[in-house]
Amino acid sequence: MRCQVPRTFSGAIRASLPAFLALCAVSHTAHGDWTVATSAALSHDNNVGNARNYASVAEDSSAAATVSLLQLIQVGENYSVAAGGNLSGQAYERLSGLNDASLEGVLSLKRKWGLGAFAPWARVGISLGRADYADDYRSATVYRASLEVGKRFDERLSLWADYGFERRRAAAPDAEIYGISGDVFSQNGLTLKAGLQYSLNARTSLALGSLWRHGDVISTTAAGTYLYASSKAVAADPTFGPGAYAYKLNGTTYGARLGVDYSLSAHSLIGCGFQRLETHAQGGNNYSGSMPQLTWNYRF
Amino acid sequence: MRNPFTAGVALILVCAAATQAAELKVIVKDHKGKGVADAVVLAVPVDPRNAQRIRPQPDAVDQLDKEFVPYVKPIFVGSTVRFPNSDNIRHQVYSFSPVKKFELPLYGGTDAPPVIFDKPGVVILGCNIHDWMVGYIYVSETPFFVKTGAQGTAAITDLPPGEYTVRIWHPSMDRAEETTSRHITLAAEAPVSAEWQVGLKPSIRVPRVPGGASPSYP
Repeated sequence: MRCQVPRTFSGAIRASLPAFLALCAVSHTAHGDWTVATSAALSHDNNVGNARNYASVAEDSSAAATVSLLQLIQVGENYSVAAGGNLSGQAYERLSGLNDASLEGVLSLKRKWGLGAFAPWARVGISLGRADYADDYRSATVYRASLEVGKRFDERLSLWADYGFERRRAAAPDAEIYGISGDVFSQNGLTLKAGLQYSLNARTSLALGSLWRHGDVISTTAAGTYLYASSKAVAADPTFGPGAYAYKLNGTTYGARLGVDYSLSAHSLIGCGFQRLETHAQGGNNYSGSMPQLTWNYRF
Repeated sequence: MRNPFTAGVALILVCAAATQAAELKVIVKDHKGKGVADAVVLAVPVDPRNAQRIRPQPDAVDQLDKEFVPYVKPIFVGSTVRFPNSDNIRHQVYSFSPVKKFELPLYGGTDAPPVIFDKPGVVILGCNIHDWMVGYIYVSETPFFVKTGAQGTAAITDLPPGEYTVRIWHPSMDRAEETTSRHITLAAEAPVSAEWQVGLKPSIRVPRVPGGASPSYP
């Protein structure tokens, strides 16, 4: 039986959306140093719920879109501040309870050591957002802090790394199992990413990325006693069907992504990529997932 | 010449010859035979007196849709160039080129002061805010130059008749511009056509739209 949570997005998103659109309109007329970017992606995840057992693995396709609006403020010769927001949404083909809309405000300070495209840079950023899911028990307030560094070596090659902390705070349901919290969808995690982009020719570029993440992971699978002992929290997860339970575990994820992007014009590019994630969680609950992606990016 | 009338006619003929202009028509092609746009054609007079009376003119390189316009701008040495910003955001134009190092702090509109280019050579322009922006100013030691259009063709008109060393420069050319030099004699009222074939390196620029999304954790 599916969860009977109303499939509407919360008042926070509904209230924020007009404000975000108003911000977009202001940016169009204010002649300020605004950057507006949009992106869209089609993905297929062969293990959406991060299940270990084959019988519990659910795969699904999704479409996602994001609009980003940032005000860039130059502070002196070497520093710049970016403030703005991202509005994004994702819709799944079958697991519609995972459909979500999110809005986040971002603030970052960037330092460049020198003039020009080849100067190394670092950026510290914080963000605060709200992700509202169709199955509302997954909805969470999301806090992020990150430190990014990067360097472009020439017109072809650039490298970057990103170390970040993320905290998600969801409404904690009542415990379903005595002695184990029901607060599954509140998570903490540390993530380290690194990547490179290499231009193969004037229009085509290759992207390689790697990911290490340590913290709370959620694995949704059929009820099984073997996971209770290692779980920090357990709750029913009807998004994945009756009898599905989400387990919050401590785990480490290793990931890699290979992608190719092709410039359609000076403003837009399309790309395809393949991502692989392997997670080693407490209690021997190890799982993996792969995600091919088609992407489109446009920057005004 | 004792006859004043004859002397006058002779003087008029000499002056007329001096004002009769020569013309050089040029086409620049790549190795596939396609016309090369944005190639700078330079005609250096062997007799430097032919260029003495020409003075540098003020010029401009605009910024439009976060690009330098034009992409290649040839100017005469000593010229002053303004960098108006036609975008509704600010730019920070700079150059690290030895021929002219400069930086225009963040500005919008026509606020930036003009820059004097007093040495010949190539100046590469960039914007510190928009890394993909690149433009070229070719500072010519001769006042006789032109830039090819989309079809790779161009013409230098009003040249004093005489001997010239003509050469080509393009930002993506795969060889030194000196290797393109040719000696050409130009006569009044007799346009001369010349064709160059140059190899071009792939033009790789910093991407304007960042791709290469990083792996993401669900």
